[in-house]
Amino acid sequence: MSAEPTMRRRPVRVVVLGGGTAGWMSAAAIAALLPDLASVDLVESEDIGIVGVGEATLPHIRGFVERLGIDEAAFMKATHATYKLGIDFRDFGRIGESYIHPFGTFGEKVADVGFHHYWLEMQRRGEASAIGAYSFAVAAARANRFAPPDTGEGLRSTYGYAYQFDATLFGPFMRDHALSLGVTRHEGLVTGVERDGASGDVAALVLKDGRRIEGDLFIDCSGFRSILLGGELGAEWEDWTHWLPCDRAAAMPCHHVPGAPLRPYTTATAMPTGWRWQIPLQHRMGNGYVFASAFTDEDHACEAIRQAAEGEPLADPRVLRFRPGRRARSWAHNVVGVGLASGFLEPLESTSIYLAQMAITYLVELFPAEGAVDPRDRDEFNRLVDMEYDRVRDFLILHYHATTRDDSPFWDHVRTMTVPDSLAAKMALWREAGRIERYEDGLFYDASWIAVYLGQGMLPERHDPRAAIADPARVARALERLRHTIGEDVAALPDHRAYLNREAGRLAEAA
Amino acid sequence: MSKARAPLQRIVVAGAGQVGVLAAIAVKRAVPDAQVAVIGIPPDPTAFADHASGALPFTVRLHERLGVSEAALVARAGGSHRLLTRYFGWGGGGSHGAVPYGAPLDPAQRTAFAREWGGGTAQRGGASPATGSIAEVLTDAGRFASGTDGNTDPLAGLEYGMRWNPPAYRDLLIAGARALGIDYVSADIAGARPDGQGGFAALVLEDGSELEADLILDCSGPAARVLSALPDHGRSDWSPHLPVARVMVASPGSPMAALEDRYTLLDQGWLGELAGRDGLRRMLGLASGVSDAAGAEALGCEPQIVLPVAPGCAQRAWIGNVVALGDAAATFDPLSGLNLDLAHRQLDLLLELLPGREIVGGERAEFNRRADLMAHGVRNTLAAHFAAPRAQAIFGARAQPGSVEQTLDQFSRRGRLPFQDEASFLPEERQRLFAALGHPRGIPPQERAVSEGAIEAARRAFAAQAKAALAASPPYTRWLAQVARG
Repeated sequence: MSAEPTMRRRPVRVVVLGGGTAGWMSAAAIAALLPDLASVDLVESEDIGIVGVGEATLPHIRGFVERLGIDEAAFMKATHATYKLGIDFRDFGRIGESYIHPFGTFGEKVADVGFHHYWLEMQRRGEASAIGAYSFAVAAARANRFAPPDTGEGLRSTYGYAYQFDATLFGPFMRDHALSLGVTRHEGLVTGVERDGASGDVAALVLKDGRRIEGDLFIDCSGFRSILLGGELGAEWEDWTHWLPCDRAAAMPCHHVPGAPLRPYTTATAMPTGWRWQIPLQHRMGNGYVFASAFTDEDHACEAIRQAAEGEPLADPRVLRFRPGRRARSWAHNVVGVGLASGFLEPLESTSIYLAQMAITYLVELFPAEGAVDPRDRDEFNRLVDMEYDRVRDFLILHYHATTRDDSPFWDHVRTMTVPDSLAAKMALWREAGRIERYEDGLFYDASWIAVYLGQGMLPERHDPRAAIADPARVARALERLRHTIGEDVAALPDHRAYLNREAGRLAEAA
Repeated sequence: MSKARAPLQRIVVAGAGQVGVLAAIAVKRAVPDAQVAVIGIPPDPTAFADHASGALPFTVRLHERLGVSEAALVARAGGSHRLLTRYFGWGGGGSHGAVPYGAPLDPAQRTAFAREWGGGTAQRGGASPATGSIAEVLTDAGRFASGTDGNTDPLAGLEYGMRWNPPAYRDLLIAGARALGIDYVSADIAGARPDGQGGFAALVLEDGSELEADLILDCSGPAARVLSALPDHGRSDWSPHLPVARVMVASPGSPMAALEDRYTLLDQGWLGELAGRDGLRRMLGLASGVSDAAGAEALGCEPQIVLPVAPGCAQRAWIGNVVALGDAAATFDPLSGLNLDLAHRQLDLLLELLPGREIVGGERAEFNRRADLMAHGVRNTLAAHFAAPRAQAIFGARAQPGSVEQTLDQFSRRGRLPFQDEASFLPEERQRLFAALGHPRGIPPQERAVSEGAIEAARRAFAAQAKAALAASPPYTRWLAQVARG
């Protein structure tokens, strides 16, 4: 039994403030997914730069792009994208060590017992290679090879992929798509905000030249300035700097090193006061240093990235400033914050675009189709966004906290700081029993936690006793067989650059 | 360095009903060198999980993992298959809704990667046009066969639950338990010896002998005879939300092989009709104030037995080294047949977190956290039955748990059901259930955007799929007779 649709009312007037990545993603998604329910206006100013956050993404973006009716090939060509199988973390647990957090799994569960328990048992016996040797995604990444995964049950179905793209091209690509879906763009600076006297809701944005853009629902994508949510409505900011002290990035794009392979993964290398990224795109290498201003200054950081970068620089380092944390409420009155206006978690696990996408998805689900915002939907949105932020936050903190590094005040601080209770409980369960707290909503499940725990040298005190019951010789043979099969299958994959080139014809056609 | 950990050596299962015996099989298979003993304490007729004549699709997969063969279930325990459940009268007189198992699944979501990384909430948001259900088409046509495989098979991926004759099923399990070397002790429990760590080192039997245990599974029914003897035990009362305090059970009727079961809302309460090759089972969950005579009239006969229900759950199902399963962990009326499903999902959780001789506090806490989510999920699902508009008129209006109120609000205004961790049903199954119970469903915003063309295309694709499924499946009774002959 369905409730009859009420009389056709006029579309909900959605006004997006800000033409960066989050703004155009929001505008395109609402125009594509709620075509008759909403009209979308977007206000942006050429005088305001965009942060263009996130050159690397998570596999979830594929579903988003597909649902918006975007062709993958056209999208990859326009954004100079490469394929991404995971992130290589270097020097995090200990200087000189490296592990890949793959978009994939490790081995297989046997008789209800997770693969990593068998691995721990064999590792104890000195008969196991590094855990990454048992992951197809890790092996393919290390070999700089790529092909899309299969469906079904084989090894080739145990991984997924995301993209590494030029963030300054992603926003414009989404803008073109949004405009083709009927979004109206307004160029101009917002100089005033009109509120409804009775409800306190935002009624209109007033631009410098006097134009008024009225709306029923406002999406604040104005970046850190958070003009509507933080500024106008004063939504409280919850600061997480004490857990995630990195609050600056010095970005410096470089040429590829001639002759070097094109990595199908992002590299994150720990530095004395933060970490630096290397994100391979088709035409260049993204480079940058994410650092904590409490532990170093901008000049030193810029110098450090100049020293560290391998390719020939394409520009001088540009410093971005950010604040880790989130608004206590991402949706207040009739204003929804998406992207940096609602919160920021540093790009260590490439979650920025995911977090925008997540908020947009929940907003579509909870969209005020009748015009007025129901407080119950707003509460539900805020509950969901909080849950997602908390889970990502804990996972990020783990990368800093699970370390033996004591070579700088920065690492001393993160190694010894008090972590959130929710993370402390997860770590205790791992330490005591080698188990992962299980949830099915949000981001980062067992395989991700295992990758970081083991990759950063945080071995549990004990593992599942059943892993020791099986005949160790048999388990050793099974591990060896798995490693061998992965190696053979990976060797049969095309080289990442070759695959991209082979796809180039198709990509050109699609553009 | 992660250290080796001594595996469990002695496991005692208190209760030899179908929950206890399957639990014994499960732990024995997990730790083959352990000594596993089942104590045959007197069965409790109000242990609904122990007397359930079937379960949900989850149990089919659990059975497969535990070596309980579906063919044997059909041949020796009156096994039959259920593709859907029908609800009559919940949305008002004459209303009807079907709740088929399963959900259409994109093959790309069937991979190991999708399982480990999840679709993620951010994968949602699009709407596919609603079509029909293959399970419903097959049920209406009375055609079905299981055990087919291959991705090209039109019946592949079809979800079903099994039913059986409980005593015969239990005998089948006991034979399996014997073959595995599980001991059976026919005695009652007289007491227990504390282990000084919040649990019991041994159970004391009537004759004064002791059964030592590293781990004790309390499958004794609602009395939770072992768990409740621990000082830390506490129980949550669900009766403010679940109104049925008595269930009338009729003697089995004529044998019936149908692919569906039914729950009908009557003025006297809910009437369950569960098909079975050993006879149709009828039971009535009585509304308060209904006389025995009125109940018997609604049931259609004098009840064979009237069972009291005291709905509630253990505040912690695992205390010390004692883990409660089945009605010892949570008990509630058998509306929609969730009792054994919950028992089996909690058993599966125990298998995942199975400790060694030394029990780690974190494992226990994680078990209790997730088992509690499971139990409260069931309570909330049942509460949503009694919150249906007509059910409120019959069972009385009552305050809903906050999360149920929120769920009903979201469903009625937006056609949305908030995600639930550790749920009995898939999101699509919950959608069908809520609609079948007569809860009005709002239209999700993204669903309003689905174009006529997409709806028509989906309809055509479904029609083709349904045709292929019908062509691939024999009449159910004929196929069943073949399987039963072996």
